[in-house]
Amino acid sequence: MSEIKYDITIATTNRTLVDGQNFAFTPGKITFLLGESGIGKTLLSKAFFGILDEEGLTITINRQAYQDYVKSRPIMSMRQNGFFVFQEPSTHLNPLLTLKQQLNEGTLAKLSDDDGILDDLWHKTGREVVQKILNLYPKPYRPSGGEKQRILLAMAFKKMALLRQKRRQSKRALFVFDEPTGNLDDAYRNRFLDILFEQYRQLGFTILLITHDYSMISEIYRRHKNIINRIEFKELTRINGAAVHMQPFSAERYLSWLREQHPPAALHKKQTSRASVLQIKQSFSVYDRRFSFYSTAKSNKPVELCIQKGEMVYLKAPSGGGKTTLAKIVMGLQPAQNIRFNLAGLTLTEKSKGGIWPKYIWGKKAVMAFQHADEALNPQATVWENFRGLPATTSLTKKTFKKHLNAVFDKNIDERFMDNKAGLLSGGQKQRINLLRALLLNTDLVILDEPLNGLDFNSIRKVLSIIHQKQKQGQSFLIISHNEEIFDHFVPRTHIYYLRHAVKQ
Amino acid sequence: MKISDSIYLRGINRIKSFWGHTLYPQKDKLWLVIWITGILLLIWWNAIFLNRPAFKRLLTGFGNTLFIASLVIVFTLILSWIMTWFLYVLRHQKKRWGFMSVTFVLNLIRSVPQIVGILFAYVAVQGMLYRGMISSDVNIFVLTALAISLFIFLEVVDLMQERIRYFQNLDFYNAMRVCGFTDWRIINFHILWKNSRIHILNKVISVFGMAVFLQCSVDFIISVGLSTQVSAVNLPTTLGSLLANIDSKQDILAIGYSLSHPGYISNLFFKHLQGLSTAFILVFTLLSVFKISNGFADRYRL
Repeated sequence: MSEIKYDITIATTNRTLVDGQNFAFTPGKITFLLGESGIGKTLLSKAFFGILDEEGLTITINRQAYQDYVKSRPIMSMRQNGFFVFQEPSTHLNPLLTLKQQLNEGTLAKLSDDDGILDDLWHKTGREVVQKILNLYPKPYRPSGGEKQRILLAMAFKKMALLRQKRRQSKRALFVFDEPTGNLDDAYRNRFLDILFEQYRQLGFTILLITHDYSMISEIYRRHKNIINRIEFKELTRINGAAVHMQPFSAERYLSWLREQHPPAALHKKQTSRASVLQIKQSFSVYDRRFSFYSTAKSNKPVELCIQKGEMVYLKAPSGGGKTTLAKIVMGLQPAQNIRFNLAGLTLTEKSKGGIWPKYIWGKKAVMAFQHADEALNPQATVWENFRGLPATTSLTKKTFKKHLNAVFDKNIDERFMDNKAGLLSGGQKQRINLLRALLLNTDLVILDEPLNGLDFNSIRKVLSIIHQKQKQGQSFLIISHNEEIFDHFVPRTHIYYLRHAVKQ
Repeated sequence: MKISDSIYLRGINRIKSFWGHTLYPQKDKLWLVIWITGILLLIWWNAIFLNRPAFKRLLTGFGNTLFIASLVIVFTLILSWIMTWFLYVLRHQKKRWGFMSVTFVLNLIRSVPQIVGILFAYVAVQGMLYRGMISSDVNIFVLTALAISLFIFLEVVDLMQERIRYFQNLDFYNAMRVCGFTDWRIINFHILWKNSRIHILNKVISVFGMAVFLQCSVDFIISVGLSTQVSAVNLPTTLGSLLANIDSKQDILAIGYSLSHPGYISNLFFKHLQGLSTAFILVFTLLSVFKISNGFADRYRL
């Protein structure tokens, strides 16, 4: 079947939210939609699937009014036979119904036997444990994000199982997965891909999978080569303002770039003086939990975390394992017990006075870029105002600032961009602004918490190249990231640390 | 073609919104226009039908009341900003005793009913007036406004403190601190100016209403006669003292008379204008301020 193209415009009375040009995919194929966060992938997909709430919006699809589009026969059939898995499972599950009730709502109730699907998704977990989870009412903290995510995926797989009974309609069905692996670790992510591709092989429906996770490409090329001719990788890129364009993304380009990356070991040996920028004793406690650093994933022998001048250290830990907490402790934002560390010549312990950080450390010896750019910037202030007042920017003018912006953005930045409110930027733009604010300061240590969150491939390359340059100039980096594939290529094995609960000797 | 379509749709929406959304739901702007128009019409009517000395008194009273209320806004903002910053510094430098002492004093002020506090402040102003410490009207205005501000400004301090505490729990406060931004800039520019000015402005609208109400109430009370020592005779005319004037009292009583003698109603609009206009300005201003404040809160979803 040939490619179908859609032009989708979504606007409020005051401004155009997104003007999606050439939103195209081939029916019966798997389309991976990549692109920076907040560019409009979810909004366009919801509009295309016919489930976007029209209140306060003017939506046109191929110059057709949205109501007409939603009621057109092919779209209704696509929606009724398909499924939309939402990005944030916590906000899309009803807290007043158990997970089991929600798994059997509407047409999903027609398939009463879902044990096989659940067994597949909760691989090697006992059925009793899964049943306990199903009897829970979803709350923000329980069950975990990954479990809620798997419930949503189970709903989609149930819908696929129902399609088996009406095979003729399966070709018309569309399954949209919006960041389906955001809450899953690599093992469960791979399991999800296995099940999805298996179902696809049997039923041949259309899949639109929205993701930031570029490492999925490597996984597909590693384990699902036989299906690659049925997969299209696309990227949503910004043309200008709200106008975005969907274009093919070269998976080979990403893979070859990744292969070319290697830790700059030679550079390290040459340039590193033995001056340590950050040195933390083997263990520390936060309330009653004791954490230690290890040099390998399976090691039981705690080690000191040590970052020397010009080094990049990558800290690994499972989600919620204390990585951000450690960064906040180093920056004096969170108390800890039994901690002793050396930061650029200053010895700090749990007894150190809070006044030391603003006086000697913040913006002078160390800086930190927070994980969620959304919350790290003042949304009501303009881009320029988010930088005015930085200690190193007394000489920063709008002209010199523009040069710095050009370094992290693809095109020459329009002067007016600086006067945009930070709250109106896309997630990817916010993240680059957030990183730039930390990278602009010439501190000894830069802590980057999830620096690649929400960035597209080009931005990832730009950001990593700036980090490299800064490293060459002698700045040290502590990286906290889930994106293991990329940082494993960038950081020498000896500079990777694992943070875990301390093992009793 | 597509772009022109979207411009067309937006044009249609804009026209719709002119009647449907932009004009009508902005009730704050609507009530501001209603208030100004109402006051201007009343002044025009009085200019024709009210005698010259009474008309002059009415205008002076209205002007003085507005002037004092505006001064109250300025003093309230200055006092609350200084106090908020002072409390922030005490809290951050962990000066526990200092913080507790200031909070105790503020709570003491808070515990005094506003009208009682302002009444006492008026007594003090009168005392200064008798001893010749102040003489000009401007000084009296400033002291009166200061006295009212002293018992109102805590509402704005509470709001500012609440806003600062709210933003301190968000990442952006810490994200800016670790980048080396000064607390001065984060608090004043990023939190109070960029993220709270709408909230503060909304509070200021209520402060204006409170200032008019409290000042007129106290003026009315002391004009009716609190004691031989305290009277409004030496104070500049305001709407409160004008309402307590013997002519105004008769005008107000005329309403009761017209209820039993309906034929007399038309005279209210021509012969009893001083008292009725004063009462109308007060009630209408307070109603308008209430509506403006509500509309403003609605518009910005406060």
